[in-house]
Amino acid sequence: MPWIPGMKLRTLLLTAVVPLLSGCSTASFRLFHPAGVVSSIEWHYTLIDVGVMSLLIVPVTIMIAVFVWRYRKSRNARYDPTWSHSLGLELAMWGIPFLTVIFLGYESYRSTLLVNPYGPAALNYADAANPPLQVDVVTTDWQWVFIYPQYGIATVDDLVVPAGRPVKLWLTSTSVTNDFFIPGVAPMIDVMPGMRTMDGFQVNVPGSFEGFSADFSGAGFSWMQFSTRIVAKPDFDKWVAATQASSNQLSYAAFTKLAEPTVNVGAKPAYFSQVPSGLFMDVYNAARAGTVYAIPEQLKISTSSVDYTQGRDGTN
Amino acid sequence: MTLGTIGADEKVVLWQYGEVAHDMISTKTLGFWLYMLSDALVFAGLFAAYGVLDHSMNAANGPTEAQIVHPIAAFWQTLAVLTSVFAYSVATVAVKHGYRQLVVLCVLAAILLGMVFLGLEFSDFADLYAHGATPQVSGFLSAYFILIATHGLHMAFGILWLLVMAIQVSRLGLTAPVVAQLLNLRLFWQFQAAIWVCVYVFVYLKGVI
Amino acid sequence: MFVHLQGPYSFLFGRLTLASIPYDNAIIQFAFGFAAIAAILVVAPVLYYRKIPYLFREWLTTVDHKKIGVMYIILGLVMMFRGFFDGLMIRTQQVMADGPHSAGHLEAAHGYLPPAHFDQIYSSHGTIMIIFAATPILTGLGNIIVPLQIGARDMAFPTLNAISLWLTTVGAALVMASLFIGDFSTAGWVGLIPLTELDFSPSSGVDYWMWAIQISSVGTTLNAINVIATIVAMRAPGMRWTRLPIFTWTTLSTSIIGLTAFPILGVALALLGADRYLGTHFYTAGLGGNLMLYTNLFWIWGHPEVYFLVLPAFGIISEVIPAFSEKPLFGYVTMVAATFAIAGISWVVWLHHFFTMGAGPLVNSFFSVATMVVGIPTGVKVFNWLFTLYRGRLTFATPMLWAVGALFLLLIGGLTGMMLAIPAVNYTVHNSVFVIAHFHCMVLLIVYAAFAAVSFWWPKVFGFKLDETTGKLFFWSFSIGTILLFTAMFGLGFMGETRRLDYLYNTQWFPALVIEEIGVGFYSLSVLIFFAMLFVSIRDRVKNAASADPWGTSRTLEWLTHSPVPFYNFAVTPHVNSRDELSWRYLNNLAATAPEHFEEIHMPNNTPVPLIIGALAFGFGFGLTWRIWWMTGFSLLGIIAVVIYRSFARDKGYHLSAEVMTQLEREPPLGVIAESQYLSKHPLTGAGAH
Ligand code: HEA
Ligand code: HEA
Ligand code: CUA
Ligand SMILES: [Cu+2]
Repeated sequence: MPWIPGMKLRTLLLTAVVPLLSGCSTASFRLFHPAGVVSSIEWHYTLIDVGVMSLLIVPVTIMIAVFVWRYRKSRNARYDPTWSHSLGLELAMWGIPFLTVIFLGYESYRSTLLVNPYGPAALNYADAANPPLQVDVVTTDWQWVFIYPQYGIATVDDLVVPAGRPVKLWLTSTSVTNDFFIPGVAPMIDVMPGMRTMDGFQVNVPGSFEGFSADFSGAGFSWMQFSTRIVAKPDFDKWVAATQASSNQLSYAAFTKLAEPTVNVGAKPAYFSQVPSGLFMDVYNAARAGTVYAIPEQLKISTSSVDYTQGRDGTN
Repeated sequence: MTLGTIGADEKVVLWQYGEVAHDMISTKTLGFWLYMLSDALVFAGLFAAYGVLDHSMNAANGPTEAQIVHPIAAFWQTLAVLTSVFAYSVATVAVKHGYRQLVVLCVLAAILLGMVFLGLEFSDFADLYAHGATPQVSGFLSAYFILIATHGLHMAFGILWLLVMAIQVSRLGLTAPVVAQLLNLRLFWQFQAAIWVCVYVFVYLKGVI
Repeated sequence: MFVHLQGPYSFLFGRLTLASIPYDNAIIQFAFGFAAIAAILVVAPVLYYRKIPYLFREWLTTVDHKKIGVMYIILGLVMMFRGFFDGLMIRTQQVMADGPHSAGHLEAAHGYLPPAHFDQIYSSHGTIMIIFAATPILTGLGNIIVPLQIGARDMAFPTLNAISLWLTTVGAALVMASLFIGDFSTAGWVGLIPLTELDFSPSSGVDYWMWAIQISSVGTTLNAINVIATIVAMRAPGMRWTRLPIFTWTTLSTSIIGLTAFPILGVALALLGADRYLGTHFYTAGLGGNLMLYTNLFWIWGHPEVYFLVLPAFGIISEVIPAFSEKPLFGYVTMVAATFAIAGISWVVWLHHFFTMGAGPLVNSFFSVATMVVGIPTGVKVFNWLFTLYRGRLTFATPMLWAVGALFLLLIGGLTGMMLAIPAVNYTVHNSVFVIAHFHCMVLLIVYAAFAAVSFWWPKVFGFKLDETTGKLFFWSFSIGTILLFTAMFGLGFMGETRRLDYLYNTQWFPALVIEEIGVGFYSLSVLIFFAMLFVSIRDRVKNAASADPWGTSRTLEWLTHSPVPFYNFAVTPHVNSRDELSWRYLNNLAATAPEHFEEIHMPNNTPVPLIIGALAFGFGFGLTWRIWWMTGFSLLGIIAVVIYRSFARDKGYHLSAEVMTQLEREPPLGVIAESQYLSKHPLTGAGAH
């Protein structure tokens, strides 16, 4: 993680807020336990924002409660029936939030640069010794296709990346808009047909995570998860070699079959070799030229014809 | 001060006797101005859409702006709209002097010129259709047709309104409500001309530059 | 239910076939049975007591701003009830469909709703709550209160006012029709693009959604014009701008937002309509369309829209808190300034709804900062209310409970809104139920303010107070529901639960989901209490009869005239001397001073024209949805013809002579704001009319 000025001090300042937010057992609060470089920064700024805002919100909340209690008619507290103006107070009530917003605005600007999906300042893409892994992401109705142009392989619903290496994503969709998200790992970014967006992340220790679409995309949306596996570098190389040996091949023609609307219950993965390097751009250009994958009637009326009983188990 | 006690020699008025004069004509005019504001925003939205889609990328291999606009032909449309507005202005002058016949005559002239405008627009569209340049071809053509057709629709409604007013003037005379409507119609008609000028500049002239 | 719009076509019925009516769906059967029983409960007494002529004469053709306002609010409450039912169904589905081993009922694999049905429910919930519940309730309140607060006899354009009402009602009726004929959109209340394109939504749903919103927003725009013109032109003498009550100020600012924002929504939807009906390519991904154009246009309206809703709510709070603190509002000038600051800034923040769409960091930062700037004037408002409470003499009648409750919601919603406004944070919680929880705090603030307003102004409109015991019970039950439901929902947001899920794959969420379900349980209870409250209050109406100022501590002009307000509002227009006119008259012992004599006044006639336009507008929307072109064309021509016909009619209204006014004012109020009750008691109609 890059050095962020004043991080220690603020972390100290915010220790008051963390327990408040996180309660006792926080294992299931995925966002409280960021694993990736970018996600950690996001969580850090979440704390700053909540901390600073609390400096105002908490006192105001308490004051409302106290005033409501103190000035009830039955308590006969001091009553000032005409007091309705005070220049000093009114200046303060504009001024203090103003200063707070200036501070938060600056923090917002800085953090936006750090986590900018199109080239997060927090990641180093330029290191020749550790070049970024390029993954092209294509969403269909309703699966995820991950293409590794550097290796000529692709997967469905299974994103495998090496630990400690920055990952650079290009994303596009064959049909409607989705939203790429891996909580605790990668920031969200929209995935749109006929458009190319980018994202980037890096996780330094191996682990498994859940990714999914966050933007509603039709009847199969609720089942649109994919697994994210961060593996050690040697394991990644092994995995790539194994996948390259797969007899399953993915030409553009094969892709158009894959892109037919399917609900992939339980995110059952598939692996492909011999993937043409230009597949992503082919998909992108096809969408721009008006290619649409029609949804079969049956799926639109009700997806009950699909067997949902074997969804993935609910652990992360 | 919010609250205050009355001074000893202060005279307070608690009730307003007599008719409280709310000038209904100027209130109606105000209301109509507000309506025109919302109409202006409709066109702002359409112009924004046109601005976004007026790009060779959005022409999707179909014709681009430069290939379909004819500033010279559209100039005649501009002329028609402006003279129609002029005719209507003469009508409002006639209203001031109470020349009922002249008002009707000028309104009819404004209608005629408005129809000329629509006719030219129609022939332009027909020409484009004949060349296969329909709104379904590309995002750009969609924006082009819808922007201009929306203005055309406004013109058509304006013509209908002019017609209604011509009848009202000749049947009811220049009564206050009729005059109020005539004034609102003037606003409407001038506004359509102004929009057309914007269309002419942003679509036709910009298209060839 | 699902009808492909490319399916069979007939001239008479367009795409409408018997197959469009989902009579075989158990849930729809239930809904239909429920609606039918409700309708019978309403219609039967009307028929039994032969009230149809009364309804027609007094309500359906009225141009009285108070009655129109009451009808707006009834429409809003009924739709809120429907929206609540949707919310209940959403929550029940989600708690039932958690984890792969959750059972399936009816036609669903998990829970009891198959995806397509579930998706319609949250889409209609959002659409209904925002456009057909919150908006009409607030518009209705503005309608009732604003002319009274500024001492006017009616709105500037009474007939137009009725037209606005009926257009909004038509929109609501279209949404309700979609329940039983065809289906509703599944693309969310925002109309996610390109999901709403014909390729992906080939049924009637999106068209219902689109035309319902489009028609009602014409009504909203016309109402905004009316309100602005009223406030500008119809103020009583002495009602200077610096004396305008805050609720009137906020209604003015809201109307300015409405007037300028709704046309943009109109364009956004019309272009979608062009895509769906004419095959153009505005928003398609291919052939030169641009789907981000829709998203931008929608939110250029959508964001101002939420402030359109919240500003009148702020206005209500600003009226209720001083009244029950027995103090003037703290910082009137800053309050007005803050109102307009919020309205102004609301125009440059729309992009915060799609920080994740990939704009550059500078653009995102700009909109982030602009969004947070809204917090400044909002904070000013909070502080102003705080210092109004300070050294006040607080009483906690029901309206005050709702108002103070709203403050807490605003603080939590504001805190979470400020989190969402930072892109780095937004990238982790966008489109999660954290967002849902954020904005439910905010929209519930509006609901709280609405209930505050209803209980506050109820005696003014109906002449008796609502029952306080059941009213407080209603508040507490509702609030427990709110706390349980939305605390759990914030937690789920941090657990990573995405919004709009009909099936939840993570079983660790179950405890929180159960808490949410208990929350809606309390909501359901509170609905029952609400009906009990209405029942008890109406039963005890004589006991609870209200004086002109039933709370005894009210401050503004509307409390000067009788309760219930007579159809002519003020017999003699008051002359305004102070910002809090009634308080000022109290202070100077003038509150009881009645006018010395009465004069002739002029009133507008009722007219069926607005109702007819409404009926035709329904035909227009329904015909378009089902491609029944003759119906569409007939309705459109009908509307034009009616408008032209009306422009020839010279309806001059009628006069009430000085003697009649004297007599009317001497009579004790009769209990309802019914014009004919006065008139039938005194056979004047002929006497005064032209
Ligand atoms: C004004 C706006 C508003 C209001 C008030 C509400 C109120 C409620 N909402 Fe709503 N909601 C939205 C606007 C609103 N919502 C929007 C815009 C969405 C997004 C949709 C989308 O994704 O596209 C949404 C989405 C949404 C979801 C998310 C679905 C998802 O994406 O996963 C959920 C889930 O729990 C929910 C629940 C509720 C509940 C339980 C209430 C409760 O608070 C309801 C409480 C109300 C009552 C208890 C009724 C009281 C009424 C009466 C007493 C009147 C009765 C009178 C007569 C009949 C005369 N809402
Ligand atoms: C009435 C409704 C309402 C209101 C008032 C607000 C108010 C605010 N909203 Fe909210 N919002 C919605 C309704 C509303 N919102 C809806 C419906 C959506 C989602 C729509 C959808 O996707 O379906 C949404 C979504 C939404 C998003 C996008 C979330 C996403 O999809 O990722 C964001 C992001 O910035 C946001 C921010 C804010 C902010 C900063 C405010 C601010 O105005 C809040 C200001 C208030 C305070 C800050 C508290 C009081 C202030 C003080 C006590 C002073 C101290 C404060 C400072 C130092 C500034 N809102
Ligand atoms: Cu949104 Cu491209
Ligand atoms: Cu917003």
